Amino acid sequence: MQVLASGQLLFSALVLGATYALIALGLNLVYGTMRLLNVAHGDLAMLGAYVAYWLFTFMTVPPLVSMFLAIVIAAGLGALAYVGIFRRQLAERTTAGRLEANSLLLFFGLSVIMQNVASLAFTGSLRAYQYLDEVLTIGGVAMTGNRLVMLLLTIGVCAALTLFLRLNIYGLAIKALIQNRDAAAVVGVNVERVQLVTFSLGFGLAGLAGALISMTEQISPFMGFPFTIAAFIVIILGGLGNIPGGILAGLLLGFLEVYGVALTSPMYRSVLLYGVFVGVLILRPQGLFGLRRIVR
Amino acid sequence: MKIYLTTAALITVVVFALFVPDLVGAYYVTVALNLCMWIALTQSWIILSGMGGYISLGHVVFFGLGGYTSVLLWQLVPLIIAIPAAGAVAGIFALVIGAPVLRVWGPYFVILTFGLAELVKYVVLITETNLGKSSRLLFGTPETAELYYVMFGLAFVATVLAWLVRRSRLGQGLLAIREDEPTAETIGVPVTRYKVLAYALSAVIPGMVGGLMVFRSSYFEPLQIFNPVVSFNIVTMAIIGGSDDWRGPIIGCVFLVTMYELLWANVPELYMIIVGLLLVGFVLFAPMGIVGRVTMQRNNT
Repeated sequence: MQVLASGQLLFSALVLGATYALIALGLNLVYGTMRLLNVAHGDLAMLGAYVAYWLFTFMTVPPLVSMFLAIVIAAGLGALAYVGIFRRQLAERTTAGRLEANSLLLFFGLSVIMQNVASLAFTGSLRAYQYLDEVLTIGGVAMTGNRLVMLLLTIGVCAALTLFLRLNIYGLAIKALIQNRDAAAVVGVNVERVQLVTFSLGFGLAGLAGALISMTEQISPFMGFPFTIAAFIVIILGGLGNIPGGILAGLLLGFLEVYGVALTSPMYRSVLLYGVFVGVLILRPQGLFGLRRIVR
Repeated sequence: MKIYLTTAALITVVVFALFVPDLVGAYYVTVALNLCMWIALTQSWIILSGMGGYISLGHVVFFGLGGYTSVLLWQLVPLIIAIPAAGAVAGIFALVIGAPVLRVWGPYFVILTFGLAELVKYVVLITETNLGKSSRLLFGTPETAELYYVMFGLAFVATVLAWLVRRSRLGQGLLAIREDEPTAETIGVPVTRYKVLAYALSAVIPGMVGGLMVFRSSYFEPLQIFNPVVSFNIVTMAIIGGSDDWRGPIIGCVFLVTMYELLWANVPELYMIIVGLLLVGFVLFAPMGIVGRVTMQRNNT
């Protein structure tokens, strides 16, 4: 029981929760504004992780610098996917109706493509590098520098995004789209441009999350899927399209996982994660704070 | 006239299929076994997901449960009991979870089925670990040719089942649910009963297929039998061929199995990339699949 009360565990839970909150942010934006279920989200994080890994390994560029490149590349892919595939699908009435279900298959296809292209290009082996991995002790809690950096950066990004959605004109437009697409168009929001911005922003955030994750975890071409699932749990728990709800739910999931594993054994980690996922979808699919009906 | 042609074609296919192991080498028996496996799985899948529109991205759960059942029963009871038992376990599982799971609608159902399959996979994995059997060895498994005959039977039954359901009241009800569920319910389609029934029907044969395919290798490993690639392949085959009636799965399966044989051994990644591209392409440009495309063009001329 003493272990459970330790600051060490609390810190692990905070870091994991922050990671989940961060990875879910982009997914939530894209889903909230366009109702697109991006199951390739984790694979974009994978891409960001490889950008950070290669730049560090070959040119010793610190991930805190290369993360900007990861954002740009992932955001570029987002813009490409939007212009190439989804703009037309969203605009036409006939396809827009079925798009929510179809988007899942489309992104699933894209996810398989990205994983296997990465596997061809980088081989399937696990990779890792060492950066800021000396142990610091703050207030009796031992931590590696990279985890601390990750926690602080995530808090910064969440705060910045919340402010962006409140104060910036694009942020407000994104919020308007989340609340009601048609009404947003009526009051003069340039829906197409805002969608493009959201796509890039959502994908870019995934790239950023991946670059940060690569500091602390091993990376592989197939690392993305568990993160996609975690992100889905988070946004469903928090309520689809509800950004502050998602951040809270991310923290909640991190605590649930860390303390759940501490109480049982690491073997149960996956069962816990998928169990929460299935349970939430069946019992409370509108999320803990959500209102939208998705059950018939 | 048409009925004679159909009968003749059917007899030819069956007779040819029965002699496959005598006519071709061992390698092609394996190919034929795989083809029959995918046909049986995909035909079952379209009952719920093609006709009813509830796309299941976790059909491997039934395949895996069937496989696990028949591994547990191996050398306790003969296969003639074990295989139907595998189907029964999958069917009962579908009946039990059907009502709550099928309340979840649209895309949420799709990710729910995926999550459910992964959950069952890890539960089985933990059960096996707690039993102290991290990977079981299977001795004296049946010959490939034997498996092939049974598998051909399953593919045949699955195809007939898909054809029958499509013509039945259940099939019409499912089509109505796919087009507009609230309206279907309003005009008196017993929505929940039909969905659960379709779910169970689409689970039984995959359970038996899993129960059979587990004997392809001489050891059992939960992560392998519950591999999500199986679910993914089923969906892609149905979407490429068309998932409205029994013709689509056959075309889709022949197409993908051929490509698999050409590519998998040398560049598995390339196979997966092409499958991904095909999935995206078909969803964008031909959501009704090859069969739907052909029918549309025939109607236009």
